[in-house]
Amino acid sequence: MDRFFRIALAILISVVALIEFYQVIMRYIFEVPVMGLDEILVYPTLWLYFMGSVNACREDTQIKANVLDIFLKTDRARLKVRIVADVMSLVVSGWLTYWAWDYFGYALKIWKESPTLYIPTFYAECAFFIGLVLMTLFVGIHLVKNLRKLTTDLPSAAEGV
Amino acid sequence: MDIVTVSFIALGVLVFMLSFGVPLPFCFGGALMVMVFVGDAFMEGTMVWGYSQLANPVLLCIPLFVFAGTLMSESGIAASLLKFVNLFVGRIRGGLGVVATVSCSLIGAISGSGLTGVAATGPILIPEMASKGYPRGYATALVANSSILGLLIPPSVTMIIYGWVTDTSILACFLATMGPGLLITFNFSVVNMVLARKFPLELDLPKPVQESVKEGVSLTARAIPALIMPLIILGGIYGGIMTPTEAAAVAVIYSLPVGILVYKGLTPKTFIRAAKSSATAVGAIMVMIVFSLLLSQIFVMEDVPQALVEGVFKITQNKFLLLVLINFLLFFVGMIVNDITSIILLAPLLLPLMEAIGVSPVQFAAIMGVNTAMGGVTPPYASILYLSMRIGKVEFSEVIRPAMLLIIFGYVPVVFLTSWWPNLSLFFPSLFGY
Repeated sequence: MDRFFRIALAILISVVALIEFYQVIMRYIFEVPVMGLDEILVYPTLWLYFMGSVNACREDTQIKANVLDIFLKTDRARLKVRIVADVMSLVVSGWLTYWAWDYFGYALKIWKESPTLYIPTFYAECAFFIGLVLMTLFVGIHLVKNLRKLTTDLPSAAEGV
Repeated sequence: MDIVTVSFIALGVLVFMLSFGVPLPFCFGGALMVMVFVGDAFMEGTMVWGYSQLANPVLLCIPLFVFAGTLMSESGIAASLLKFVNLFVGRIRGGLGVVATVSCSLIGAISGSGLTGVAATGPILIPEMASKGYPRGYATALVANSSILGLLIPPSVTMIIYGWVTDTSILACFLATMGPGLLITFNFSVVNMVLARKFPLELDLPKPVQESVKEGVSLTARAIPALIMPLIILGGIYGGIMTPTEAAAVAVIYSLPVGILVYKGLTPKTFIRAAKSSATAVGAIMVMIVFSLLLSQIFVMEDVPQALVEGVFKITQNKFLLLVLINFLLFFVGMIVNDITSIILLAPLLLPLMEAIGVSPVQFAAIMGVNTAMGGVTPPYASILYLSMRIGKVEFSEVIRPAMLLIIFGYVPVVFLTSWWPNLSLFFPSLFGY
């Protein structure tokens, strides 16, 4: 799994940088306008955003504040807070996925195409739904892992969580 | 229940979830749920709007600046810049502290984020400063505080966001925080020189002139490829040659041959590691941005900013008092949420109020910029400070006192000057016709 994300994310961000660089070279050095490059750029960019966020969920490196942790003394208390946070995340993520599904259905029905190259925008738009499904899945996995840790009742269970 | 009350409940839920450690995108989702279920706001169509915002090419410079910054850190470009600055101030008492501050400003001219400064300079500077007699906690605090200059010296991710959400020129916003950024660089250097007098520092022995000149020429020559990087970015943008997104892409591609052939820090392994960590950071930021934007959009659709302006004006219309209140509000919010979140949530809400009291959007960019950047080092949400502590291997208790000293004497005066002396933020934009 780690290998997949490492390679997929490296390819996505490199492709985005390369396309933008190609545009600079063509526009400013060869003075040739490249039609539709901005349209193409949207696809790897949207997938980069959502796959990056899915990986952040998988690695549990999403941006968090963890303010309560400062006031808690034991690892077990921190683990309980983490479980509450996971439950809240799962509920909200599920709700957002429902709306992303609604959008997915809309995009599929409308089947809009990009203005110059006529590429269906659905291929970028579906990143919203697929990304949120995977994010919800990884949030669920973290919740199950943390619940297991709590039931095993190890004092050091929350370390590094 | 009126919409302002519901909005406050939504913000309360956001803070509540945040304090539990819920990831930020879901905190915004929770606040959105309140707006939909309690405030009867509509979610229909908001995802389509969110997609159109994410697909905006302006935002593309954020991943590219983050990627350029990470590559700079991995490739050895940052280390070379550091040695170059050390050449000028390294041998004076407290000079190494000045190196930390000035290097972070220089790195800020490439990366656009505060975390990059810590990641690039912390592993080199903190042990070096500790070995020369600086207390480790102080060295860590100085590097953390200096790293927030990455958010003030252009380009800056937070200013891209501000310009985008308030429809203000991004180039003008970049320049608005430059004056405060330079003044903070100066202040930190002075505060460091004063504090360094108490430390039992080991100073390098003066070298013979011939040896010094030789070393200077060698270090300068080695630093030239690294110094070209900020030149490409700032020269490209302000020379009117490239857009910020294009400049960021050129910086990414430029860092490859320089990192591989000149500084030799970039290998296939380090490149993939940098790409993956940049993409993960970008994903976390951009998805958080889209959900915070949806919440902000719902606030705007429900006329919350107007209601807020009317409510505040009922309390006071005094400009001085309002600016004090706004600064306290931004400082407080910066303590509990990150800089991008503060800007997305508060800029559209507060800008009408600021314009009503005669503060221009460009000056307000600087006011928001300095306040939200400070949030990166003020607990409980102090991501830059926490990362520095991890790199410096120090406890919170060791770092908090020097960090607060630097903030109080180096940072806070600039926060107030930015509010009450408009020229500090408007001078550089005026040079470019903004």
